This record gives sequence, structure tokens and C-alpha cells, in this order.
Amino acid sequence: MLKNYFKIAIAVLKRRKFFTFISLFGISFTLTILIVLTSFLDHLLSPSYPDINRDRELYINKMIFRSTKNDYFNGGSPTLYFYQHYVSTLKTPYKLAIYTEAENTNAYQNNKKIVFEQKYTNIAYWEVYQFQFIEGKPYNQQELKNADHVVVISEDARDNYFGKNVLATGKYLEANDIKYRVTGVVKTAPYLDFYCYADLYLPYTLSKQDLKTRNLMGGFSATMLADSKTDLPKIKAEYLEMVKKLPIDKTEDNMNVINSYADYYLEGYSRSLSSEPDNGLSTLYFYFGLFIFFFMLLPTINLVNINISRIMERSSEIGVRKAFGASSKTLTYQFIVENLILTFLGGVLGIVLSSIVIYLINSAEIVPNLKMHINLTVLFYGLLACLIFGLLSGVYPAWRMSKLNVVTALKANN
Amino acid sequence: MLRHLFKLIWNKKKENFLLISEIFISFIVTFAVFTLLVNFYRNYKKPAGMTYENVWTVNIGSTGLSKNKDSLLLVHENLKNALLSLPQIKAVSYTGNNTPFSNSSTMSGLSYLHHDVSRVDMYRGETSYGKVLGLKLVSGRWFENQDRAVKYSPIVINQVAVEKLMIKNPVGTVLGNKNENQLKIIGVVEDMKDKGDFLAPGPKMYTISDTGSVAYMSTILLKVSPDADANFESKVYKLIANSSKGSNVEIGHLTEARRKKNLEVLIPMIILMIISSFLIFNVALGLFGVLWYNISKRRGEIGLRRAIGASAFSVSSQLVGEALVLATFSLIIGSFFAIQFPLLHVFDLPAPIYLTSLFLSIVFIYLLVIFCALYPGKHAASIHPAVALHED
Repeated sequence: MLKNYFKIAIAVLKRRKFFTFISLFGISFTLTILIVLTSFLDHLLSPSYPDINRDRELYINKMIFRSTKNDYFNGGSPTLYFYQHYVSTLKTPYKLAIYTEAENTNAYQNNKKIVFEQKYTNIAYWEVYQFQFIEGKPYNQQELKNADHVVVISEDARDNYFGKNVLATGKYLEANDIKYRVTGVVKTAPYLDFYCYADLYLPYTLSKQDLKTRNLMGGFSATMLADSKTDLPKIKAEYLEMVKKLPIDKTEDNMNVINSYADYYLEGYSRSLSSEPDNGLSTLYFYFGLFIFFFMLLPTINLVNINISRIMERSSEIGVRKAFGASSKTLTYQFIVENLILTFLGGVLGIVLSSIVIYLINSAEIVPNLKMHINLTVLFYGLLACLIFGLLSGVYPAWRMSKLNVVTALKANN
Repeated sequence: MLRHLFKLIWNKKKENFLLISEIFISFIVTFAVFTLLVNFYRNYKKPAGMTYENVWTVNIGSTGLSKNKDSLLLVHENLKNALLSLPQIKAVSYTGNNTPFSNSSTMSGLSYLHHDVSRVDMYRGETSYGKVLGLKLVSGRWFENQDRAVKYSPIVINQVAVEKLMIKNPVGTVLGNKNENQLKIIGVVEDMKDKGDFLAPGPKMYTISDTGSVAYMSTILLKVSPDADANFESKVYKLIANSSKGSNVEIGHLTEARRKKNLEVLIPMIILMIISSFLIFNVALGLFGVLWYNISKRRGEIGLRRAIGASAFSVSSQLVGEALVLATFSLIIGSFFAIQFPLLHVFDLPAPIYLTSLFLSIVFIYLLVIFCALYPGKHAASIHPAVALHED
């Protein structure tokens, strides 16, 4: 039966080439845009180099002092002191990478200016994040303690400063008017991963922040790597408990609440969309869903329109089949299958097109070091979108067609 | 004729429902895109209100510097004199970190009589600030050294702020500022587009730095001569890094910062344009297909009209006319929604922008529909009555 439908569908597609072109164009381009979008999100959100353990990690990057009496509000990242004295009291085991946000600095060489982004990190940073060392190794505990002028640089930074593929380990790099000894070179992290991307990684003891302060807010973010995924909810709860017990500085503007969360990766971004204590994930999903819905609405209505025209053209065929006893259900089924076949063809085209588009985006370097690719997840979502698309644009025309009266269908035989 | 066409469409409203909704949604999409484009274009046409060529920003950071205000002031003064002694440097001003085209902003509120204006960008600089950025005075004067110790803190505001506060003669007016002492306007400057070329300048106020604010003066603005190159820049860098002991130093160029800031608007805009033009192209193809199909279904009717003497032109213009009436239905519904934006002030955009883009998108949709209907209409006109009637 299915084979028959397939044959009919191909025959119909061949008969009206212009309509076929319109349908395929609509489906494939809509899918291309959806696939490119999902692979971009995939690039942003799914675990990848160097943050491959993302599903076992929690991120801490914000601490908020608030007052419930007036609208006093002060937010920023926590201090080293906070991590060392409070976060360290959590019972569930984890590794804690502590680092600053990347900040820009300059280096000058041979009448050329280079802008570097630098990050100060602790030693555990190199254990939590699985950087691939092209040469050399990370700085060690002793170097950190002595505040030695050592640096780990990215491959891009090395190519920029020392020249392409020149060995850099042991050489000196001058940035921010300070000479650093290069201890290692890592493969460059993705530009859009704010926790990992930098050109220069320095021991936090070199940071200009006040490391001895007993304040809670100032300068450092952290990533917690748990032993297993199941520990994460436990750690989140312990973290919340710990934050509740933080001492509140009474002198500061009536502030009476401290908020800070250990968040999953996406939660860390969505939290700003919503007010405390909601994590904003549902808001994020809602807007995303709304966007996809509106984006798909137009091509779908367009396809429904064309499908109706195509099906009505075949009214005599429908009339004959109905007259010979085919039920509305069988006919609806047939047309939906035909539609799915068409959508599937469009889907294949769409995947081909999107690989071309992704290739172009990657090579155009709109975002430096952006490497998107179609992986299995993306392909799966693409095909799912395909299926939904086919059903959406197939059901209504099929329903309208199946309601066609036999007599009128047979009469309108042109 | 028109009434007849309306009647024809109205009788088939059920069949035409999808087509109408499709044109309606395309209208909404074009309206949204045109609103953005018109808004960006209008802002782009506004004068920059400042000169950003050959201006460098030097971020010296605020941490690590001495906490003592007097010694900090001395360090700043020495560094400034050292910089000014270099021949390539034309002017120097310390300022906060909200330099033009940066991502940071400092906001405050202003009030005059009963007009409160919140979210006023506040810039703190020295007497040379206006010279470094090439701000153009409209009336009044810029700061002078004796402005530091007067009863009312002197401020310079921009034209948008004057409009929002509704002051007739701004120079000399005393304003109330929430939390702080009273302010006296000494001058009005042209609006500078420091958030990028495509964004409208908001209300702004400029104040003069004093000993109390020295800790916030974490950036130096340098006006350099055009021949200042990377070699010279590294010299300046060394000079500054040496005197600001310890903290991280970064030199940026305003032209580069402006380019990046503009890209933040341009890239999403280009992506939006690509997606929406694809949507519109898709709709155009669909419209074309459906009209083509409708005409082939009505061969008998068209043949009959031709047989009783209708000219080819009147047949094709009837079909184009029908498509236009269909579009009019959608546009009426669409305009009803679109007109709500200026009426309800949904986004903080002036009404002319909405009206211009409403007009543009109506014209665009009509053109699109005519374009899609023209060829099927022509095809219909070429139907030979004998052939068409013979079929039936």
C-alpha cells in the first residue's frame, strides 16, 4: 500500500513541476533556517571542548545584595574569600574552578598591536575544564603560590604573537607591560563560551583584585564539577542553605537579602529574564517556542494553500476513488502520506542546503573561532521539524478534500 | 466595478480565508521589518554630534590604585602632564568608564518643575572633555576651571534632555536632581550618538570631575594627531602602565569601538532581513501558484467574458484587481493591528516611524501582489474564447 502511495506521490510531483518547486523551496528553506538555528544553539549549549563535563557542572557567577524595604540592588560576582570560606563548607564532593571574567589587555610587537583577553584562574580550572595542551602544561600550585609571572596561552594567541606553529613554551610574552613565561599552549576555546574563552590564562595570585578582602562580592566566577550527575540537586540545595546563612552587612543601605545560585549552564543565562527566585527557564522556552511558532506559521499556511490547490486539482481522481468505495479516512491517510513524502524530500534538500550554509558561516568567521556542525541531535530535531511541518501542512488540505462530495468532485473534471 | 470585485471575494470568503491570512501575516512581518529599518535609517541620518577619529580610550582600571584621594589626584595630574608633553597628543581628559561606544553606562535622573526624566546618561569629565570628543555647543558654554567650587553644580545637557524637560531657556536654569544637590545648566550641546550610529541618542548630562569623584575616573580619553601609529601607541602604553602601577591597562580606538558597536546592530538586522526576505519570497511563490491555479479553474468563465467582447486588458485587470481586493482585506485587518503600536506606545518609538513604515509596507504588499498576479493575469487574457468554451 505504502509503495503505491509512494508511486502516486512521485507521479504527482513530476506532473506539476512548478508547484513541486514551490513546495520543495518552502520546505527546504524553512528547514535550513531551523537547522542552522538549532546547530547554533547546539554549539552554544551542548557540552563541547573544553567544557565536556557540562552535564556534571554547576556555575556560580552572581551574587546579589538586595533590600526588601527599598529598591536597593547591587549585583556582581563573588570574591575568592566567599569560595574559600563558604563554598568549601559544602559536604558533597566536587572540584571548584575559580576564574575571573575575561578582560582586555594590549601587547605590542614589531609596530603591531595585539588585543588579548586575559583570565585569572586557579589550579583546579585545568582539571575541571579539559583543555587540550598542544605543548607544555598548566602552571602548578607552587607557581601560583609564588605569584610567578607565568601564562598559558591559546593557540590563536601564539600564532598571533610568536608566529604560526612556532614553539612557545619557555619563551616570554610581554602583555600589559609585564613579561610572562609561557608554560603551555592550549587549543583555542570557542569564542562564545564566556567561562572558557581567553587568550591568556594567568594564576589568580597575579590578579589586581584585593585577594585578602573579607567582602563577599567582587571579581570571581566559579564552576563546580561534581562526581556524578545525581549529586547536582544535592549540591544546589546545600548551596542555597549556605547562602541563607551568609552574614549580612547591616551597614549597607538596609540590605537584608543575599541571593546567589549554583546554576545549570542554561539556567545561568535565563535567570536574568525573570525575577528572583525563578530561574527564568520557562520564560526562555516560552519565547523560543513563540518565535519558532511564528516563524513556521507563514511557510505552513503557504504550503497548506498550495497543497489545497494541488489536491483540488485532483478532484476527479478523488471522486472516482470515493465512488468506488474508498472511505474519507483512507483518502486522508493517503494524502498525508503523500505530503510526508514531499516534506521528506524537502527535508533531505534542507539538510544539504544547511550543511552548505553552515560551512559558509564557519568559513566567513563572523564570530571568531565559531565551528558549528550538524550533529546527530541537530539532525534529529531537523527531521522532527520536518515531520511536524508535513503534518501541519498536510492535515487541513486532506481534511478539506475528504469532505468533498462525490458528485461535485466528479463533475468538476478539469 | 470595485464593488463588484468586493462582492466576488466576499462570496468566496471561505475559500480565500487562507490566502487572506497569509497576506495578513506577511504584512505584519514587513511592517515589523520596515519599522526597524525606518528607525535605524532615521537614526543613521542624524549627525554624529562628536568626532571619534583619532580618539583613544585608555582603561587604567580603578583597583590597585592608591585609596588616598590626594595621592591619586597627584598621580593623575602627573600622568596627564606627561601625556600632554608628547607632541602627538592634542588633548587629554579623565572620565568614567562610560566612554562612547562602550558597554557601560552611568544613569541618573533630572527634574524640572513637574517633568521628571529618568535614565539620563551621565558623563563626568574634565574641562577638556568637550574638546577631546569634539562636542558642539548649541548655546551657553562648556566647563571652566572655576566651575568646581560654586553653589550649584554646573551641568551641560544635550538637546534631547532639553526637549524632555521642556525648558524654554535652558542656560541658567536650576534643576533638581534626585538624591543630589541642585544643578545649574551652563550649556547645551548637540546630541552625540555614542551608543552606535543606528541607535537614537537619549537624554544626556555632562558634569565636571572634582576631587570627590577622582576614584571613578578610570579611563583616559586621548585626542591624538593622525600620524600616531602602533609604535607611538606602545610608547604611550608603557608610560601609562608604569604610572598606574599594577592595574591592567588597555588602549582602545573609538573608531574600532564604533565599528563593533554598529555590528551589534547590523548583524542581527542582516539575519532578520535574510529570514524575512526568504519568508516573503516564499509567500510570493505561493501566491503566484494559487492565483495561477485559480485562473486555470476559471477558464470557462474567462472564455465567456472574452466571447462577449471583454478586451484582453479588462480580463487581466479584473484578475489583478481581484488579487488587490484580496490584499486590501488583509491590509485592513493588518493596519488595524499596526495602528495600535503608535496609539498605545507599545515601544518607545515616535509615531512618524510607525506611520512611515505602515505606508511602506502597504505599498510593498500591493506591489508584491500586483507582481504575483500580473503574469497569471496576462496568461488568462491570452485564453482563446473558442478553446476555453469548447472544453466546457
